[in-house]
Amino acid sequence: MADIKLKGITRRWNDFIGVDNLNLDIADREFLVLLGPSGCGKSTTMRMIAGLEEVSSGEIWLGERMVNNLEPKDRDISMVFQSYGLYPTMSVYENIRFPLRIRKVPASEHKERVLRAAEMVELTQFLDRRPAALSGGQRQRVALARAIVRAPNAFLMDEPLSNLDAKLRVSTRAQIANLHHELKTTTVYVTHDQVEAMTLADRVVVMKNGIAQQIAPPMDIYNKPANTFVASFIGAPAMNLIEGHLEAGTFTSPVLTVSGLPHRHSGPVTLGFRAEDVAVVSEGGNLAAPVYSVERLGDSTMFAIRAKDDLISLKADKAASLAIGDVVRAAVTAKVSHIFDGTTGQRIEPLLIPA
Amino acid sequence: MTSSPARPNYTLTLIATAFVLFWMVVAGFPFLWTTWGSFKVEADFFSRADWSNALSGVNTIRQTGDAFTMDGYKGAWILNDFWRAGLNTMLVTVVVTVLSLVLGTLGGYALARSGYRYAFWILILALVFRAMPHITLVSGYLVPFFQLNIWGTLPTAIIVLVAINQPFTLWMLHSFFLSIPKDLDESAMVDGCTRFQAFREVIVPVMWPGIITTGLFSFLLAYNDFAVTAMLLRQENQTMIPKIASFLGSIESEGNVMFAVSSVVSATVPLFILVMFFQRQIVGGLTAGAVKG
Amino acid sequence: MPHKAFAWFILPSALAMILFIALPLVSIVVQSLYIEHPQVLTQVESCSPFGGCTMETRVDAAATAALRDAQPLGRFNGLGTYFNRSHLATREIATILKDTDGIADSLRRIYQLPFYRALLFTLCYTAVVTPLGMLAGFWIALAVNRIPAVLKGPVIFVSLLPMIITPLIGSLVIYWMVNSRGILGNLLQWVTQDPTLSIAASGPLTWLTLFLYGIWIAAPFSFVVFYAGLQTVPQDTLESAMIDGANRWERVRFVIIPHLVPLATFVALVQLMDNFRVLEPIIGFNAQASATSLSFSIYNDLQAENGQLFASAAATSLLTIALLIVLLFPVLIRTWRDFSRKSAH
Ligand SMILES: Nc1ncnc2c1ncn2[C@@H]1O[C@H](COP(=O)(O)OP(=O)(O)OP(=O)(O)O)[C@@H](O)[C@H]1O
Ligand SMILES: [Mg+2]
Repeated sequence: MADIKLKGITRRWNDFIGVDNLNLDIADREFLVLLGPSGCGKSTTMRMIAGLEEVSSGEIWLGERMVNNLEPKDRDISMVFQSYGLYPTMSVYENIRFPLRIRKVPASEHKERVLRAAEMVELTQFLDRRPAALSGGQRQRVALARAIVRAPNAFLMDEPLSNLDAKLRVSTRAQIANLHHELKTTTVYVTHDQVEAMTLADRVVVMKNGIAQQIAPPMDIYNKPANTFVASFIGAPAMNLIEGHLEAGTFTSPVLTVSGLPHRHSGPVTLGFRAEDVAVVSEGGNLAAPVYSVERLGDSTMFAIRAKDDLISLKADKAASLAIGDVVRAAVTAKVSHIFDGTTGQRIEPLLIPA
Repeated sequence: MTSSPARPNYTLTLIATAFVLFWMVVAGFPFLWTTWGSFKVEADFFSRADWSNALSGVNTIRQTGDAFTMDGYKGAWILNDFWRAGLNTMLVTVVVTVLSLVLGTLGGYALARSGYRYAFWILILALVFRAMPHITLVSGYLVPFFQLNIWGTLPTAIIVLVAINQPFTLWMLHSFFLSIPKDLDESAMVDGCTRFQAFREVIVPVMWPGIITTGLFSFLLAYNDFAVTAMLLRQENQTMIPKIASFLGSIESEGNVMFAVSSVVSATVPLFILVMFFQRQIVGGLTAGAVKG
Repeated sequence: MPHKAFAWFILPSALAMILFIALPLVSIVVQSLYIEHPQVLTQVESCSPFGGCTMETRVDAAATAALRDAQPLGRFNGLGTYFNRSHLATREIATILKDTDGIADSLRRIYQLPFYRALLFTLCYTAVVTPLGMLAGFWIALAVNRIPAVLKGPVIFVSLLPMIITPLIGSLVIYWMVNSRGILGNLLQWVTQDPTLSIAASGPLTWLTLFLYGIWIAAPFSFVVFYAGLQTVPQDTLESAMIDGANRWERVRFVIIPHLVPLATFVALVQLMDNFRVLEPIIGFNAQASATSLSFSIYNDLQAENGQLFASAAATSLLTIALLIVLLFPVLIRTWRDFSRKSAH
């Protein structure tokens, strides 16, 4: 077990930059999630930690060792691949045992350790099968068992759930959370699914185009997104963003005016608010527009309205009875508003917390 | 003109079947005819007078007392030492196949897993090498081999055949390796393997079908070679194909053409067996190369 | 894969190719610049009891052998071999062009020059056999695709035979059937009612036989590849073409043929290389009187009765390789473009 330090690591291919100057301290026993859209460099970051990808510049430290020049096998980590990477010619038992055999763990311990790992992921009845004779979820669990059969410095998991169906994903997710609780091994987990990130992580790194946008615990990322990209990436539906102007604590835009904002800033800004923070009202309110679409989710109803070019989503209770074309009204308050710089997109912190 | 696939067009099927039957005769009959004729005497094999003699073996009965004779085979295998050529061929093809595969899997794996540009250039160079007629290279071997005094021996021919086969073997194995996911080597390396251990413990077991298919083609290349073995082996080391070629000069003039015929038929037998047992792999190999190469 | 690991993995294979493909190429270049030593002649006085003494010129075998041992490459000859009568024959061609009786005459006389004879046959063989072999293979594939499934296995088995057969053996098998004493030769004499007809005696017939033989061994390869290609024609596209109202021909034209084009390029490339090196059929058919190929010229030089002609063989080899690279150039360019496109973002 160890902490992992990334000091300004960068990965370049010719003139294309996959990961750009990433600095990250991962504490021992932490569960860290790398989150971001496809192609943002999550896998590359993880593969550099594993030693499967060369580092163009920067340093990677595992505990007290600088591991840039170590082979993957000498870094003592284990990894779960998106397509599992199971050995098709070996049985499940042999698959799980493989790391022990290769690392010359005394043969007498193998059986016990394999069985214990298999038990943790509920695989004991499949030990004799070949991977080809397993379902996706079972294969996934073999990959997990192979990772946990020894006690490595860290676990790396690259989108381990993305090939599973929705239901299995939820249960395997719970299993991973539970495993981490029990084994307490430093874990780096890659996903592009924000629900996985929010539910599993101690801290989340949101990445875009190879650059870390925000590194913070999940609730901080939800409550205080560092910029408009993070704001629009986290949460379902995404945070509504409206461009406008801030002057003396009042935000003005053609569709919405919010006053009483505790921000000193003046100039072009983007105001953001989450659908679930805003109440739909029958009278008054500072936002009014015809309904563009209605989605009934069972426990609630989502309305989308059109404001200039963007769709704004609003949440009402399940009894709301507006139809497409009806005018919906909402009250956006200063308290639920996030303000981002109009040009850089960076979050502007309020001066004082409103009462 | 338009017809749905549910309603087969019988005329078309009939024409197709007739054409295929015609092709089967064209492709297969020469072998049947020669094999049958190899058990006759020359007067029947080349039956100017009446072609049906070749079937009934009139002259064969007259000369040997039986419609079938093993004289041709006896003459070639025993009197003319064709058995020695057979043994040499066996030795050469087996060793060439094994060595080609060993070198080819290592190199093909490296080419499939390297993302660098030089891997591409090596493949292109291999393609050019593959295109060169073997006899052009042979003309470059002779003088140095004479000087090094290694001309004429089996090991020399074997090493040359292995090298000449490499371009093809590399291409074929490289495309087989490309079809094995990279995740597999990477899991193995994270699990504690060195690159070579990952290759040996994880990749090679998955590669067996590709290795067998490539091995078949390496075998064929070595077995069917004429240019190298004919020019680089001295008389007593000759394999079957150059031996047959030398029969043509010496034996045919003495009227013993049946020795050549029977040795030709003998040399086709291993190929027949090969196709019989490995038809699927051969077809698969040809198409794998086509689809990926 | 890091450079170092790559180097170790590729080393054995690369070493074999460098030692036995690249170095021999160097050796050919060197050989082509030298020429064999002439025989050492000595004046010997031979006296007979009655006729008195005469001076006689004799080959000094020992001195010749000693010279050849001392300088096995022969003496330096520069590019002489390339331009001599057996190769590019520049002087002869200049003469022919100077006192020519029209194009046909000069072509006929150029064809008498050994290198051009071999070149012409090699190019014709490649140009005829490659497309016709592919076409034959394509037809067989289309036909096999339609026949009842039980027949397919045996058909493929028999079809593979001409392809995997040793070229020398295959050509002998056919040669024994078509020569004037063989069954097909007889048949031909009977059909033409000409009992003296012999394929070996006629240049055009020899060419034709060699071409047909070439197609016979080339067709199976195209057949197998095209047949496999037909199995993987995207059924969805075929069905949507049907729904869109395409008839049988339009489906072939717009779905099946585009699907097979990449395969055809591959087959053409492989067949081009194989046909260009044609050698064994000429030996098997004993056809060198009317047809020689570049490979055969080299083989012939190396087989020469009194001393192998290394310089001549080497020069022909280099000319052959140069021609081959010219022929392959479009392919190399295309592969390079594909690769740059793939590696670009
Ligand atoms: N070997 C390579 N050569 C060139 N570019 C590469 C290479 N590997 C990855 N890239 C590029 O680096 C970027 C980051 O890739 P990476 O695999 O890390 O993305 P990711 O965040 O894991 O995406 P996904 O969610 O789709 O897996 C991509 O734009 C990709 O095209
Ligand atoms: Mg990824």
